[in-house]
Amino acid sequence: MQTQVNQTSNNIIVTENLGKSVVTSEGTLHILSSIDLIIKSGESIAIVGESGSGKSTLISLLAGLDTPSTGSISINGKQLTSMNEDGRAALRNELIGFVFQSFQLLHSLTALENVMLPLELSGDKHAKAAATALLHRVGLSHRLTHTPKQLSGGEQQRVALARAFVTKPAILFADEPTGNLDSKTGATIVDLLFELNLENHTTLILVTHDHTLAARCQRTIQLDSGCMV
Amino acid sequence: MSRFNLALRLLWRDSRTGELTILILALVIAVTSSTAIALFSDRMKRTMTNQTAEFLAADLVIESPAPVPAEWLAKAMKLDLAQARTADFSSVLIEHDELLLAGIKAVSAAYPLRGFLKTTTGDYLTETITRNGPEKGTAWVEKRILPALKLNLGDPLTVGEKQLTISNIISYEPDKKGDFYSFSPRVMINDADLQATGIVQPGSHVHYFFQFTGEPKALAEFKRWLKPQLNPSQRILDINEDRPELGSALERAERYLGLSSIAVILISGVAIAMATRRYTERHFNATALLRCLGCKQNEILWLYSSQFVVLGLVASAVGCLLGWFAQEALFHLLRGLLPQQIASPGLLAVFFGFIIGMAVLLGFALPPLLRLKQVSPLRVLRRELEPLPSSAWLIYGLSLGIIGILIWKYTGDLKMTASILGTGLMTLLALGLLIYGLLNLTRKLLPSMSLTWRFGLQGLFRNSRASVSQILAFSLTLVAMVLSFTVRTDLIDNWQNQLPNNAPNHFALNIFPAQRAAFQQELQLQHITGSQFFPVVRGRLVEINHTPVQQIVSKDTQGENATHRELSLTWTKELPEENKIVAGSWWNNQQAGLVSVEQKLAESLKIKLGDLLKFTVGSQQINATVTSIRKLRWDTMKPNFYMIFSPGTLDAYPSTFITSFYLPEPQKNMLNTLVKKYPGTTILEVDFILQQFKTILAQLTQAINYLLYFALMAGFAVLFAAVYATLDNRIYEGALMRTLGANRSLLRKTHIIEFSMLGLISGLLAVVISEAIIYALYTQVMDMEYRPSLYLWAVIPCTGALFVGMAGCWGVRHVLNKSSLRILREQY
Repeated sequence: MQTQVNQTSNNIIVTENLGKSVVTSEGTLHILSSIDLIIKSGESIAIVGESGSGKSTLISLLAGLDTPSTGSISINGKQLTSMNEDGRAALRNELIGFVFQSFQLLHSLTALENVMLPLELSGDKHAKAAATALLHRVGLSHRLTHTPKQLSGGEQQRVALARAFVTKPAILFADEPTGNLDSKTGATIVDLLFELNLENHTTLILVTHDHTLAARCQRTIQLDSGCMV
Repeated sequence: MSRFNLALRLLWRDSRTGELTILILALVIAVTSSTAIALFSDRMKRTMTNQTAEFLAADLVIESPAPVPAEWLAKAMKLDLAQARTADFSSVLIEHDELLLAGIKAVSAAYPLRGFLKTTTGDYLTETITRNGPEKGTAWVEKRILPALKLNLGDPLTVGEKQLTISNIISYEPDKKGDFYSFSPRVMINDADLQATGIVQPGSHVHYFFQFTGEPKALAEFKRWLKPQLNPSQRILDINEDRPELGSALERAERYLGLSSIAVILISGVAIAMATRRYTERHFNATALLRCLGCKQNEILWLYSSQFVVLGLVASAVGCLLGWFAQEALFHLLRGLLPQQIASPGLLAVFFGFIIGMAVLLGFALPPLLRLKQVSPLRVLRRELEPLPSSAWLIYGLSLGIIGILIWKYTGDLKMTASILGTGLMTLLALGLLIYGLLNLTRKLLPSMSLTWRFGLQGLFRNSRASVSQILAFSLTLVAMVLSFTVRTDLIDNWQNQLPNNAPNHFALNIFPAQRAAFQQELQLQHITGSQFFPVVRGRLVEINHTPVQQIVSKDTQGENATHRELSLTWTKELPEENKIVAGSWWNNQQAGLVSVEQKLAESLKIKLGDLLKFTVGSQQINATVTSIRKLRWDTMKPNFYMIFSPGTLDAYPSTFITSFYLPEPQKNMLNTLVKKYPGTTILEVDFILQQFKTILAQLTQAINYLLYFALMAGFAVLFAAVYATLDNRIYEGALMRTLGANRSLLRKTHIIEFSMLGLISGLLAVVISEAIIYALYTQVMDMEYRPSLYLWAVIPCTGALFVGMAGCWGVRHVLNKSSLRILREQY
């Protein structure tokens, strides 16, 4: 499934004055403030910062998983902030892929079924063939019928990568993709991530603590106490 | 369609991992039991109705002093009703210079439409069951007739002007009544010989019984059509009207069957709710991911609800099948006790089981399932985000609605429904709050407890809300089990008390005052237990507070029946046994002119304390003031009266005496002596009625016992399943504690304490709720006496502690035996 990207502009994500705050018993807590960001199509961006700096909040806002308190986000020319949850869900289905630190595979499904799932959700008739091909591409053709419990951490993350790329998303969000892996396995996964990214011309936005990984991205956004520095 | 396929695929994938096992089990149990009970009670009810119809030898009977219009019979034919006719009258038989007043019964070819006759040609051991009466030209006689008239089998017997041959001794007739015509020994002849006897002439005293059987709908229509056309001397008999004592036993049994069904469904409903809750919680992450991958909220709901519908259909189908086998097995077990002819299973009852399955699933599973719709996609990044619980109104409203509809459907009784729901709900609410308070209070005592107790109890306190809902769920299950058990025990006790083994089986009427002492002595000499002798004066109630009764009564009421005929009036100094004053007081002095009225008649005639009643006795009139209203049991087989007067009121009027006594079978010959010695006295034999009644009660008792076992089994199974549904968190925490150095013994003790306390509190709560419901049920609905049962207070909390404790410890045994690391990893 090739995603239609807005050709009129090269900017795939634009945020203006983006902010997120929550009200606590001790007053309003500003998690993110005044984030102005332009991300071009095909670009790879690393979001770095210390724990609690607002990285995960930023990625959740950009992916439409959460709603901002202030400002606006436009993805592929569409105003995310004016959409309701169902509208954002449709946009996610159309444009966005995810890779998580904790893999987020469904334990009741096999590797193949996990990869097929996003295609099945969009009604793709050739889900199985596409998923099999991608699992082959990530080196897991011999593990198709294994459930996550029967796979190692690295293998699970490879399944997650296959699931993320199987819909050929325009944007891929990766949240600490190597956070749960040892350095060697992590490096293999990162290589695979960038290879797939290149092959699919995907815009990659990844959150990481790892400066080596951040360095492989074209641009780095540093967050400190919810502000870009 | 593709979404539905996807739902099916996800369902299939889920089922492989055992995620759905508890849910399916709970649903299958619910459907199996509701189908089995629906089928069983439907068949049982129809079998019983058929059998009780034997008392009338038909489903519906018109009693009339003259043949009914031909158009009535034509209407019955048009409605496809089978018909038979009997004519009962008295006639004096004279053979070998011996005279005997006999009750003659001429029966048509189709008689009896329900039930059978038993005859013998020798002793009672070789009885033959037959479904037709005597052939033309023959007569069947009761055994007593032969020695009384010095006759033998095969001898001729002249009835009126017709000579017949005695071909059989009749030992059982289904519709033998305890009235005047059956006091005298029976001679049964063929209807075709009736004319030839010459006894039945215009103006003769004959009771015709026109009997009908057929489809219930057609019978109901016939009855509706007929009622307005009856003249005052005609009456319709059906099982509810003619045999109120049986009708009430059956009605109670039906209500019990209904109650058991509801109990089992409630038990399963609780399990379904708990299993769905577990299912839902275990699917938060998967749902968050689906949302993340672009599933809309409604799609999530559609995805899961279509899975549940499929699940419901499959489980209901399996449950229906199992339910079918279960009721077949139940009938197989009961085959020795049940009549030969058992009504066939009704397909509607199977369908009903199916509907129940779906309704219970909807009522109990939908509310927890709806939570999945609320899962935020952000949960993929922040696991701690939990969706808000569904609204309490939705959760309880929906399940209460379903339970309410079920209770109403089973009982057809809004009063009972409201009684159960209202009391149960109020108690539940009050006790829920009480437990919540108690838990929080006990929490304060924790620091002073030992480590094991502290850890054990902390399990309960950690999430008070979850603990309260678990306790309530277990309590409900136990309540359902207690209700099934207690109501059944009391119901059976009640029946046994109703008819003890030596319940009077004979009535003696028309004992003249001069013979009373001698009669009483005769009974005592023969060691026969008799009830009190009551004087009887026949009289008619004519006015209430100077208003003619006919203006007060409404049609078809007990009051109308009572005012259309002469009543047996009596007087006594002491309140008779089995009578209870419900208003006013019994007379302590000897003041004449007071009367005590039976409660239901008083209600029907709107008689109140202080009302002035006027009676006619012969050509004279008596006035009496109502000083008390009495409640009494008509089914005690002892003389009972609508009106009891204070001594001195009726002294001036001619009276006879009535009593009842128990005569064992070997002493039956004594009847002939009594009849000969006291020719004016009427003796009614009611053994047959008693025997039939007892058989039916024994069958019902047995059926109810099996149902109880079924309900208890379902309860225990579900209790286990329900404990399992709450284990995830405990297993995880146990594993965590092991990694922190807790040894197995500590963990085991902790678990025992936690689960046993959970069971103990649930048990205590269950007893309180059950007692409240039983009180409401007995006093408001089943008309039984309520007695708090102390043993329940000891047994139920212990049972709760034992079973929940055992189930819990069994469920978390993995924590002790499996690698903690593995458990912790699997949880993530």
